[in-house]
Amino acid sequence: MNTKSLGKQGEDIAAKYLCAHGYRILSRNFHVSIGEVDIIAWDEDVLVFIEVKTRRSDRCGTPGQSVHHRKQQKIARTADWYLHQHHMEQTPCRFDVIEVYLRSDHTWKIRQISGAFESGNSR
Amino acid sequence: MFAKAYGATTLGVDGLIIDVEVDCANGLPSFDIVGLADTAVKESKERVRTAIRNSGIKLRQEKLTINLAPANLRKDNSGLDLPIAVGILAAYGLIPTEKLEKKLFAAELSLEGDCRAIRGILPMAVKAREQGFTTFFTSRANANEALLVKGIQIYALDHLTQLIDFLLDRTELSLAERQETPKCTHPAFSDDFADVQGQFLAKRALEIAAAGGHNALMVGSPGAGKTMLARRMNSILPELTREEALEVTKIYSIAGLLPPNGGLVTRRPFRSPHHTTSMTALIGGGSIPRPGEVTLAQNGVLFLDELPEFNKTTLEVLRQPLEDRSVTIARVNATLTFPANFILLSAMNPCPCGYYGEEDDTHTCECTPNEIKRYTRKISGPLLDRIDIHIRVPRVEYKDLSSTQKAEPSLRIRERVTAARQRQYARMKKFGLFCNAQMNHAILMETCPLDRSAQKLLEQAFRLMNLSARSYDRIVKVARTAADLGGSEKIQDAHIAEAIQLRNSVGVNMN
Repeated sequence: MNTKSLGKQGEDIAAKYLCAHGYRILSRNFHVSIGEVDIIAWDEDVLVFIEVKTRRSDRCGTPGQSVHHRKQQKIARTADWYLHQHHMEQTPCRFDVIEVYLRSDHTWKIRQISGAFESGNSR
Repeated sequence: MFAKAYGATTLGVDGLIIDVEVDCANGLPSFDIVGLADTAVKESKERVRTAIRNSGIKLRQEKLTINLAPANLRKDNSGLDLPIAVGILAAYGLIPTEKLEKKLFAAELSLEGDCRAIRGILPMAVKAREQGFTTFFTSRANANEALLVKGIQIYALDHLTQLIDFLLDRTELSLAERQETPKCTHPAFSDDFADVQGQFLAKRALEIAAAGGHNALMVGSPGAGKTMLARRMNSILPELTREEALEVTKIYSIAGLLPPNGGLVTRRPFRSPHHTTSMTALIGGGSIPRPGEVTLAQNGVLFLDELPEFNKTTLEVLRQPLEDRSVTIARVNATLTFPANFILLSAMNPCPCGYYGEEDDTHTCECTPNEIKRYTRKISGPLLDRIDIHIRVPRVEYKDLSSTQKAEPSLRIRERVTAARQRQYARMKKFGLFCNAQMNHAILMETCPLDRSAQKLLEQAFRLMNLSARSYDRIVKVARTAADLGGSEKIQDAHIAEAIQLRNSVGVNMN
């Protein structure tokens, strides 16, 4: 299984997980020239931008760790674009990261980091 | 929602009230601090957020913008943590905004939410009272310092939750009370003039220096006791008045030199920077100017040992503070004036080897005239001119050293000095001065008339010793102090004679 289909599989699992937890999914793989957001969903009245990271093991660090500052800013910029496009600038928002661990026996484990990061110029 | 809390930082030796404006709005979650925050303040973002969370309050992520006004001044005090935290809570609607009116907050927060001590509390509290604040919240470790200011309610905090509960009227908080720190009430000094045998001329010279606020230079061979004498200077200076003590405490508070739980500084400062000290360390500086040694010696003594070993440019910067009793430092961010009212005590050897003019069987001066000239020339005329008293400190005789009799204790000398100071103050109150060294030529002419015989003596000395016009003022000033010490209204011949001796007994040609 290559990394691309691994990622796709992880995102599907995450989407199912979110639906099961009452999220309403607005968009998947929203991508524009400056970047991409894996899943955009409503958690009640909060718009959540979700980055899904899938890994087979912790050998190279947790999936969450790989969402570093530059990547966060890229997602934040894309989210900003989305809000402008839909005239939703005043909507309360949040950035989440969902870690999906896919084991070789096709079982999986999921971890949601709610409010994982913020946008902003400085760290 | 918008909320405003008040914090403070320091600028020079004064406090500065900072408006902490917090706005939280919908949109992409972010947390930004604007308004020229320095690194310590920028980082408060993480401390504040964690402290709030660890105080058991969960905040929804929103677009938070914090503005520190006035925006054009750089803020470098971690004491802004507390007002930022309170401002955020108010912006989220957890604390009613009207509760923050007329209240000033100053403490650093730990990740757990504990309140920590910061520097500069005293000037902040003074400023807060001036600007009409009614209440001042600070950490418990800073309470003693804040309590020096009367007329403002002071609360000491241990934890952020205490403050939140108090502002929500959930719990009572009692006003901070002075915690007694072990204080020595007996005015005994570890360095006492009673330990110095012999050296009567030098002791008398230092007594005059202390009484009139004169600067002094001691010249002598190694081991003669110059440093020993200088270290005892503080023991004969009059006690700090409350205003003076507050001034010193303010400076030490800003420099972060107060001990934890420290209250008022009651001893006059004695600063003796090493001769490798840089210009900036001596005079103050930095991108946000901080006080240097001259300011830290405020109302006390600045002792420069081995004067010619100092960098020449370092010494020359002393000219302005010696003249103006303050120092103005200009930097891109701010131009600040620090007080620098101190007595300059300095010590040096007469020549590089140290024995010029004191040759005996075992020690001979091996320096060439040129070497001596080069050595003494390191101290420029203008600087020397600002030093009223030049004395020679000879080596102590054996019979003085072995004598078991104690010399006169510092306390007795101090009584005379204090009396002399009072006499000066009474005479010069109308000019706004408090010691003889501060007189300018006009005031000198008005307050120090010389009678015929004294005039004559001075005239003789002038011709014989080839004194300059500037020396005239110095000699009269020192004579005036000698007269004050003697309790005499008029300057007599003896006082003039003593002053001349204190001016020119160095034995090395210094000009």
